[in-house]
Amino acid sequence: MTMDRQEFLARSGLRVQTLEFWLEQRWVVPEQTSSGTGFSERDIARARFIQDLKDDMGVNDEGVDVILHLLDQLHGLRGALARLRTDPGSSS
Amino acid sequence: MASTATADEIKNAYRRLAKKLHPDLNPGDKEAEEKFKDVNTAYGLLGNAEKRKRFDSGEIDASGAEQPQRRYYRDYAAPDGEQPYTSDAGYADFMGGDDPFAEILRRAQRARANQRGEDLHYRLPIDFVESITGASKRLTLPEGGTLDVRIPPGMVDGQTLRLKGKGAPGTGSGGPGDALIEVEVLPDPRFARDGDDIVLELPISLAEAVLGGQVRVPTPGGEVTMAVPKGSNTGTTLRLKGKGAPRRGGGSGDELVKLKVVLPKPADPELEAFVSNWSKAKAFNPREGATS
Repeated sequence: MTMDRQEFLARSGLRVQTLEFWLEQRWVVPEQTSSGTGFSERDIARARFIQDLKDDMGVNDEGVDVILHLLDQLHGLRGALARLRTDPGSSS
Repeated sequence: MASTATADEIKNAYRRLAKKLHPDLNPGDKEAEEKFKDVNTAYGLLGNAEKRKRFDSGEIDASGAEQPQRRYYRDYAAPDGEQPYTSDAGYADFMGGDDPFAEILRRAQRARANQRGEDLHYRLPIDFVESITGASKRLTLPEGGTLDVRIPPGMVDGQTLRLKGKGAPGTGSGGPGDALIEVEVLPDPRFARDGDDIVLELPISLAEAVLGGQVRVPTPGGEVTMAVPKGSNTGTTLRLKGKGAPRRGGGSGDELVKLKVVLPKPADPELEAFVSNWSKAKAFNPREGATS
């Protein structure tokens, strides 16, 4: 269930240069498949979030970098916490 | 907000609320989405001069510009499933311990995408001779399938072979882990290993001990012929050069052949008679100096 670059650009409304920059910054990391680059719904949602940060909240590129870095850690922690709650058997 | 607010004031108010309420900035707050939607609706209304005029004049109500249902990034970053973006940097320092908490965190880390596959550990028993000469073995994996393993010559018990990329598959671009194969060298009734040398106890007859002779000696590479010198004794050790285990960096150890004189069984009456006559004339005490 992935989309190619063209479809991603159309759905996100990003310009080509903007996507290039985001990929370079690794703000969006599409999956590399045998048939090329595959973007997921997750990548779309992430792109929308970055657009919200930049367009609606006045966050600049440096700020986006910091926010994504912290957000990815936050989700890592949430994942670890969720596992801690649902995985009692692992203490054996 | 006052109805006299300027466009800039409205924009600033929206930004302030968006920063607080954006669902992706509040991954655990279910209500954030509803509140954020309200704020968006309000902004869609107030931020649009035309619509605002109609709203202020009461033409449309506050819910007039409902946005289509949106899925936020946080929905995809939920803890289940593979996660290409999430990072363990926020708790990496907790993972070092050997407490259950650390173990669970390590599992969470392994579940992340672009993670190198796990190293898989196997045990492979090989014969002693194979450990010296090397061999090709096929390992049947517990999870199905087989793995061809080339055993290099000179393995010692407990040594581990690493087969690159033959472990568990990774996720994303993580690449597979390695297969780690611990070699178990089965004991051999004939040979023992002492460093690079191989030690063998070779039984010889009384005649071979006294008179010397050619005997066949097993080595890991096959049988060879060895000269037993005249007057050899139990415990005499002969060295077969280069018949031991290969050394790191070239060459080989030796095979040390420890002789053991074995009398015929059942006892030979002729030998008994001979020794009985022979020893009367000789006064040899092998325990001289060894007994008090």
